[in-house]
Amino acid sequence: MVAVLEEDQMLSLAENAVKEALKKGAAEAEAYVYEGQATNVGIERGQITKTNTIIDRGLGVRVIVDKAVGFAYTNIIEGQKAIEDTITGALSAARASKPDQDWNGLPEKRPYVTAEKTYDPRILEFRSEGLVDIASSMLDAAVSVNKRVFPIEGGAGAAYLASSIANSNGVIGFDRGTIMECSLAAVAKEGNMVTPVCFEFNAGRACDVNPVWVGKEAVRLAVSALKTKRIKTITTNLILTQFALQELLHFTLMNAVKADNVQRNQSPLQGKLDEKIASENITIYDDGLMASGLRTWAFDGEGTPHQKTTLIEKGILRNFLYDNYAAKKEEKESTGNASRAGYLSTPSIEATNCHIMPGNKTSDQLMNEVDDGLIIYYLQGAHSSNPVSGEFSVVATPAWKIRNGKIAHATRGVMLAGNIFEVLKNVSAIADNERQIGPLVAPWILVENVRVIGK
Amino acid sequence: MEDILAKINSVAVQKFGAEYSETRAQKLYKTMLTLKEGRVEAAKQGIENGVAVRVLVKGAWGFASVGSIDANVLMTAVSSACKMAKNASSRLKTPIKLAETKIVEDRVQMKPKKKPSTILMEDKINTALEINKAVLGYDKRVKGCTIDYLDLTGTSYFSSSEGILIEQDKLYVWSRITSTAASKGVFTFSREEIGSTAGYEVFDTAPEAIGEKVAKRAIKQLGAKSPKGGRSQVVLGPNVVGVFVHEAFGHLAEADLALAGGILQNNFGKKIGSDLVTFYDDGTVDGAFGSFKYDDEGVPTQKTLLIKDGVVTGLMHNRETAQKFNAEPTGNARAENFRVEPIIRMRNTYMAPRDHSLEELTEGISSGYYFKSFRGGQANLDGTFQVGIQEGYEIVNGEIGAPVRNASISGSTLETLFKVDAVGKDFELWPGRCGKGQTAFICDGGPHIRVKEVIVGGSA
Repeated sequence: MVAVLEEDQMLSLAENAVKEALKKGAAEAEAYVYEGQATNVGIERGQITKTNTIIDRGLGVRVIVDKAVGFAYTNIIEGQKAIEDTITGALSAARASKPDQDWNGLPEKRPYVTAEKTYDPRILEFRSEGLVDIASSMLDAAVSVNKRVFPIEGGAGAAYLASSIANSNGVIGFDRGTIMECSLAAVAKEGNMVTPVCFEFNAGRACDVNPVWVGKEAVRLAVSALKTKRIKTITTNLILTQFALQELLHFTLMNAVKADNVQRNQSPLQGKLDEKIASENITIYDDGLMASGLRTWAFDGEGTPHQKTTLIEKGILRNFLYDNYAAKKEEKESTGNASRAGYLSTPSIEATNCHIMPGNKTSDQLMNEVDDGLIIYYLQGAHSSNPVSGEFSVVATPAWKIRNGKIAHATRGVMLAGNIFEVLKNVSAIADNERQIGPLVAPWILVENVRVIGK
Repeated sequence: MEDILAKINSVAVQKFGAEYSETRAQKLYKTMLTLKEGRVEAAKQGIENGVAVRVLVKGAWGFASVGSIDANVLMTAVSSACKMAKNASSRLKTPIKLAETKIVEDRVQMKPKKKPSTILMEDKINTALEINKAVLGYDKRVKGCTIDYLDLTGTSYFSSSEGILIEQDKLYVWSRITSTAASKGVFTFSREEIGSTAGYEVFDTAPEAIGEKVAKRAIKQLGAKSPKGGRSQVVLGPNVVGVFVHEAFGHLAEADLALAGGILQNNFGKKIGSDLVTFYDDGTVDGAFGSFKYDDEGVPTQKTLLIKDGVVTGLMHNRETAQKFNAEPTGNARAENFRVEPIIRMRNTYMAPRDHSLEELTEGISSGYYFKSFRGGQANLDGTFQVGIQEGYEIVNGEIGAPVRNASISGSTLETLFKVDAVGKDFELWPGRCGKGQTAFICDGGPHIRVKEVIVGGSA
């Protein structure tokens, strides 16, 4: 509804803020400018009921005074006064703070590679009418499949995101990208029985989503989650689909590979570089430049170029994820993993696109390897995993019993308990059906010997 | 401010044919800190000003949010909100209608003993450093301490085309203290949160006490074993009971989720728990993290009885769901900020106490667990709940014994509430944050309780 800021506007805003901060007494300064414009159409209880449009812009300024770091942000970027007040705020925060003897300077300038397939100008022109059409075809596809299914919520959205960064070491960058997505959550009902929420989505960087597939798939899952049987407590084989894998890894392994956690003695992977920590089936990259990846950008939240970093190579731990601060502490180069919540926060270490390399089995072949086990789509409570040890105790819902390579029936109330590092060692096969869920790009994996608590 | 907002609403109604229009403006200031092992990672402050316009056109919602209070920008926003709502209404089968609410004009002022904005950043840092010192000084096996601090102050304005006009002070003070410990390849983690709408005086309690508490929990777990997986009798402490109430019942009593097929949809007025089960969602608790005077639809907050002696008596409503259920709106419509639409959220959700002491709860248990403090929890529409435990113990022959590590409990709401067979006379309310697409500041709590059977997720 409002024209987006031009590249030169965003760049000069950042550059001027840095200049002004230095003038006002900062030893070092960094400015990050963010703009997000998003339009969404929402489905509630089986019909399209709402639309929204959000324009969010702002400036975050980080300054260093006597090795103390101060930060201030504002979402008012019109007029010099708001900018100056923000810089003054950052400086007074730094002056009130304590020096950090390990502070070793903001990042230096390094060349950027252009991120591929991350921007589709058609999304900027996309209107809510188009999103209403997408949401409608998703709903129509869902309802036509099965009457027992109730689409509870979902929708379609299109977003434009842009950021610029500048710092007093000469770092300067601008990048923009687009995202389009549609999603549907459904439950199936039969008598008094309600299934757990079954969710599907499709998201990408181009103006192109597949709502019919999403609608049909959400319904297929919900229907197959009806008619549950309880299973016994047993140690068994699991196929983890991408949703379950993302939940589980995000709160465990992904904490353990962050260099700051390693440096702070709160990662079980400390001291294990070049050691075998996972099955040799497992190779994981953090790839911030993956073409069309949902987390692909030219640079990270402090202007360091994105790159492809090998985390685990055939089971052997090769690297940790670094931002500028953690890297300088070890006299290394940042891996470009400083992440920011737009203009609202200082950077912290996060994965970009975490890519688990696919195997060469189809998903059917993977199923066929399981004589007796479970296939798990979603987990409940993964965020209550122990973020330091990698231990988890979660509910698998919905999950299906596999017998002789075929789905036998849905299960209910099954809990899984264990440790992610044991799970990684017990991965016996990997499928070829990779897709992206949040930061994770992965196929299905087969894990042996997991404790499953049933009736 | 009020004039601009009222004008936007009248443009929506008169020019664009909206049945209803509301505008929310916010001027917010935040102060934030992150400390890691006593190192101040950054001292932070921020300003967020913006307006949200929400309109109902031909029975569909349109919403626009802008980080601006400029009249021209707001005119563009209201125009797109109305046009988009009209587009969305094209496939509507059941138009949205709103339940009636009182038309009020009010100015709500907060009177904290200690305004966060009058406390120097240096003093906030020093308090955090004292907590940090208590954590790291507790035991040499404590390896890490992260302290996050936030205070949020400011004003929010609400104006509707029906004539509601509310100006409300905003005040939140929050901190999270986490500690990690490691010894002989065992890694443990502990967390505690502080949260209040009263004022900075919440930090008047000794920083050493909270620091020690967090550190002690991490250390204790170093020697803990994994619990045995399977069905077990348990005693839950107030901190776990709060999350149990929130996850196993609270979310299902949010009327939007009940309408979405949740298990309470067809259980209104029915008995779904033992006689000992009485739950409230209460926005009126003085200074509590989930309290406020008016919600983000301009509806006064209240103390809502959700379940009385095991019988479902109420749901949490916004104006839209109240209309569907032919009920009164309960003041549960909350928006995290001007960027998002109000949705049904809990406030301070708790279980009412009864008459047992902790000893009476444990004494009959020959083998079970005492779960004292939670790490996280999650609900599902089918009534499956999960609560992860950060502090737990075995119960052997009626006595609380050795610590257990990384347990969680799960079950089905409709079965488990009947299994609550004894309820304590104590009561605690704990601050927390709840995620439902947006983050809401809440409290939950209750007394100690005994549950005949839940599933314990343990690897032993």
